[in-house]
Amino acid sequence: MSGHWDPGDMYILSRIMWAVRNTGELRRLACRARRLVLLMAAYDPGIHLGSSLSVLEILTVLYGTGRAKFLDGSSTKNWLILSKGHAVHAIYALAAISGIVSIDELRETGSLGSMLQNHPELGVNWIDVATSGSLGQGISIGVGIALGLKRRGSNGRVYVVVGDGELDEGQTYEALATAAHYRLGNFVPIIDYNRVQLDGHVDAVRSKGDLQRILSGMGYTVHTVDGHNVEQLAEVLDEVDSSDALNAIIAYTRRGKGVPQIEDTPIQRIPRDLALQLVSQVTCDE
Amino acid sequence: MSELVALSPREALGRALVDAGEADRDVVVVTADVGDATRARYFGERFPDRYFNVGISEQNMVGVATGLALAGYKPYAVAFSMFLMRAWEQIRNSPCRLGIPVRLVGTHSGFSDAYDGASHQSLEDLALMRVLPGMVVIAPSDSCETYEAVLQTVDSRAPVYIRVGRELHLPTSCTLGMKFEVGKGYVVRDGGDVAIISTGIMLHFALEAGRILEERGIDALVAHFPTVQPLDTVLVERIARRTGAIVTVEEHSVRGGLGSAIAETLSQAYPVPMAIMGTKTLGKSAKSPMELLEYYGLTAENIAHRAEELVKTARR
Repeated sequence: MSGHWDPGDMYILSRIMWAVRNTGELRRLACRARRLVLLMAAYDPGIHLGSSLSVLEILTVLYGTGRAKFLDGSSTKNWLILSKGHAVHAIYALAAISGIVSIDELRETGSLGSMLQNHPELGVNWIDVATSGSLGQGISIGVGIALGLKRRGSNGRVYVVVGDGELDEGQTYEALATAAHYRLGNFVPIIDYNRVQLDGHVDAVRSKGDLQRILSGMGYTVHTVDGHNVEQLAEVLDEVDSSDALNAIIAYTRRGKGVPQIEDTPIQRIPRDLALQLVSQVTCDE
Repeated sequence: MSELVALSPREALGRALVDAGEADRDVVVVTADVGDATRARYFGERFPDRYFNVGISEQNMVGVATGLALAGYKPYAVAFSMFLMRAWEQIRNSPCRLGIPVRLVGTHSGFSDAYDGASHQSLEDLALMRVLPGMVVIAPSDSCETYEAVLQTVDSRAPVYIRVGRELHLPTSCTLGMKFEVGKGYVVRDGGDVAIISTGIMLHFALEAGRILEERGIDALVAHFPTVQPLDTVLVERIARRTGAIVTVEEHSVRGGLGSAIAETLSQAYPVPMAIMGTKTLGKSAKSPMELLEYYGLTAENIAHRAEELVKTARR
């Protein structure tokens, strides 16, 4: 097992975790997180591997650039809500790289007694809103927080990462409309548009329509990016954060990114041997 | 609070929200296009920057209130009880799982919205809220208790559901000058033959039933439990030991409400014969709540009748 992963990486990365601007470092961070997600998949077939891999670069850039932090009690802090809570293993991986949980804890994910539940729970106090899992609710919570921060005059921003399949839940539009009504410039919805949901490709299950036009029709300035390109993600976040307008980001991604056997499919699980093999094949030192 | 006697429950709610807002700057109110109907708008008129109307979206409203609580505020989320219930899963998975104090206020409960009929008559809300671990569930009897329930939950550390009516006002607790306290039941009239226990507006009818029984030579204890959860189990058990027979009555389904809560407690602590009175319907349109209460048998005479029957059969 130790051959697949050098715990030494963890300490190196924890020092550069909080304010990475260099694209190469962000890319390396994503690579290491991807490797840890695969490691967790080897230990727990119940994790949502494909979803964790599609959202991985989005979360890497949010944490890696210091927008989101694992333990920040300050009143001016930003908030990050992973509304698609089933992809939480991408956050667990980044948390391990930062040093806040150990690699051994990652191996225990989903076990009875592990704090790393397969949807985030209160035991992980370093996740801002650790009770997602039921789809469609994170945006409303984010809107409430953003209203509160705005009223207090706080500079904190609220990033809500939402799945494309999740947009089937009508509550997501209730919440997006509320944010638009209140012109919440401190609220940043990021849609992980991986084109796949539980029963298949989104266009086969239920088309999401022309999402860019839907959102712009609601009043959002819509930014589209390649959701696996950390440079593009960092740039668009810089742009959004320097504006007080109503912004939304659509990040086009691939479900299962990095695992050809499940890429662009609804498959969430891979055999343990394959997962371990992939862990050993991923090399992150460019 | 003598002026509350003259106010309807929803007017008392509007007044209470304003007073809570005066007392604590962190109190915020969220509503779902029913600011006028619930009188939450009084708060909005006094504190426009602490009042958020999210439109007709109760599920969203629960999430927004949860977010405001996370950001350090003390939210009251006010909507029609019936339509707040469509957000049951949001209530379970957001404030309950987080264990944070979001105060949900459901108005137009029970038969209080007589005109609108079954679609608007919330007769299952106590059951739905009571099944949630950690949720405080309050059904005030009148405007005085409604006012107190709001003011006493400003500093709650648990999520709360307060069930409020509309215009029908039977100011029994106001008249009796009873002291409302979250989590406590109280005895309104002592007696040893049988107990009548009410929640919500049924206090008025329970007390009247007690008088009817007295005329018939039956000494009935009447108690009121505005808080359904956490249940005042100490008082429940004391009443069971004192009277040996209990009639519960609520403007709510006979399944899952106060009667169920008391039966769950007593069947495991001190079983006594019980009659659980309430509704077994989804409701109907009518000209007044009183007409509906009578139609569905929630009258003082019927309560007295069931109590009498219980007294005569329980001891054989």
